Amino acid sequence: MSSVGKQAVPQVDRRAAAAQGRARGMDVGWTVFGYLIAGMLAYGGIGWLVGRAVHVALLFPIGMLVGLAISIGFIIYRYGRQGAAEQPPRKEMTGDR
Amino acid sequence: MTGDVGVLASGGCHIFSGCGYPAPSLDSFMFRPLFSVGSFHFTKPMLIAVICGLLVIAFFWAAFHKPQLIPRGVQNIGEVGILLVRDQILRPSLGKRGDSYLPFLVSLFFYIWLMNLMELIPVLQFPTMSRIGFVWPLVFIVYFLYLYLGFKHQGFPGYIKNMIPWDVPKPILIILIPIELLRFFVVQPFTLGVRLFANMFAGHLLLLIFILASWYLASVSVGLLFAAGSFAMTFFVFGLELLIDLLQAFIFTTLTAVYIASSLESAH
Repeated sequence: MSSVGKQAVPQVDRRAAAAQGRARGMDVGWTVFGYLIAGMLAYGGIGWLVGRAVHVALLFPIGMLVGLAISIGFIIYRYGRQGAAEQPPRKEMTGDR
Repeated sequence: MTGDVGVLASGGCHIFSGCGYPAPSLDSFMFRPLFSVGSFHFTKPMLIAVICGLLVIAFFWAAFHKPQLIPRGVQNIGEVGILLVRDQILRPSLGKRGDSYLPFLVSLFFYIWLMNLMELIPVLQFPTMSRIGFVWPLVFIVYFLYLYLGFKHQGFPGYIKNMIPWDVPKPILIILIPIELLRFFVVQPFTLGVRLFANMFAGHLLLLIFILASWYLASVSVGLLFAAGSFAMTFFVFGLELLIDLLQAFIFTTLTAVYIASSLESAH
């Protein structure tokens, strides 16, 4: 193998690793965003329904805040722990390459 | 022709002429029908969508209907495009076994990119994806595809079970289940569509604001200086939109690949 060929292989690996990191980063980023919105929607909705039943309109914003807090807590639990970034990627990420 | 463009074409509306700035609005996204068949109205965005679909088909047909071992001409460009989607979008998420989804992802990427680019092409100059009705069908295709693949590969109970984060303590799990299900079934497809729509909508609006302002401010007064500034901003936004058009197609396709990957294998 020529010296150019020897350099080309690690470069291809680096590019593949960068692309994999980019895809994983995008996945995590939008999942986190999804949790924040879903938390507010789910518990805001529950708060709104309960608030309508008991005629306390304040339960809607309270529910949203509770949902947001639950989401943030879960995001910290799942993605904020030390070493979470280095956790083994999902099976399909490494797959059979 | 839309309202603000109509005012622009009339030519008389400039600063200090007693005429207010014809700000772009939702009217800028409404078009008169090109033709109608009964209650069906064929509009300019529909025409652009059809043109883009035909262009993508024609390009890849021209590139690969008689593929050569040593690629030449348009086959070269086609191969670069396919390798870009394969190496930067498909393989990082799905690995080699995801290669069967390559035609779908290539079509999706180039169709969205081309539709976005149409906002920068004179005469056409409208990003079809800034009308959310054009985004939802693509989102539904992706949504039903990954649901189908999830049910097929993991089974209905297994797929639902795999969505739940079992690694958290049981009492917390109960309060997390509604969030997890809502995120997966509602928020995920919603954000996939709205992200693309909102970016294209905002980009087109920005371009309109600066183009209209350049014309509105152009007069024999200090307004001419502002007009020059606005004109420079038009070029800046044009360059920005060139990048955003590509980026949005890239993000949509990458997330599609990630969602397909999560359907083929459990994430938890």
